[in-house]
Amino acid sequence: AVPGGAGRAMAAAAFERRVLRCAAEHHYLRVRLELPDGGARPNAAQFKQLVVTALRELHGEVGAALPVDVLTYEEKTLSAILRVISSGLVKLWSALTLLGFYQNRRCAFRVLQTSPFLLALSGNSRELVLD
Amino acid sequence: HAALSRRYVLCEVVSEDPRCRQCIEDRALGLAVRDAIARVHGDYGLACCSVSFTVKYLNAYTGTVLLRCRKDSYRLLCSVLPFVRSLESRAQRYPCFLNTLHVGGTIRSCQKFLIQYNRTQLLRLLQNCTNEEERQCIQKSLLSCSLTEEQSQSGDEEEDDGTE
Repeated sequence: AVPGGAGRAMAAAAFERRVLRCAAEHHYLRVRLELPDGGARPNAAQFKQLVVTALRELHGEVGAALPVDVLTYEEKTLSAILRVISSGLVKLWSALTLLGFYQNRRCAFRVLQTSPFLLALSGNSRELVLD
Repeated sequence: HAALSRRYVLCEVVSEDPRCRQCIEDRALGLAVRDAIARVHGDYGLACCSVSFTVKYLNAYTGTVLLRCRKDSYRLLCSVLPFVRSLESRAQRYPCFLNTLHVGGTIRSCQKFLIQYNRTQLLRLLQNCTNEEERQCIQKSLLSCSLTEEQSQSGDEEEDDGTE
């Protein structure tokens, strides 16, 4: 029973369909930095500096000004979760792909997961172990 | 042939230093613009804009410059022109800035705009004359402009009345 609706004529509910394309404003990336030589590991600030340097090399000052955040960083495994504004995802990913050197040491970024929702990064079916 | 569309950007070089005029040459200007693109848009922007990028026309007396680029990257190029702050040639560097006047799809449209623009500029210069002899000078040169018959190029700009 509709509360308070007895005796009042209700208008027929109109069907409304909303389609949102690329509605999320941020994209999240789980990345891992590979440093094959066993040298000193960068800390969180140096890691962010590396990401911004990669953007500056490929996309200039405009790329370096892109709002990128390092949400989490683990120095032991060199993996991090990055957040970037959705319009800048292509610039960030291409910059990470083409980065080759960190302090004259060979390095590579591996992008493990990406999603417009942070919750989706909590589980990774690729690393699932079936026993 | 629409796939190879180009855009022509017309701009003028403005400088407080009169010696900057000798730096207005195609190599110095091309290098300055390319350098600014590399700074602002990085390797990707530089490669994107450098495809078929040239300085098509230069006029060191008026400081007019016509640049050509691909249609896909003309916005990149136009966004970078405010970042060109100095011109360098023969180990001399002078501060300047670029004013974008017109963006056209063909050289002819830019030329038509330039003729119209020069006309209005001349009239404005005449109005802003401070003393009488400058006024006489400009009036004399305006009245002596004429349309000459040339085979391949269009004639000089002409003025109908130089008295205003």
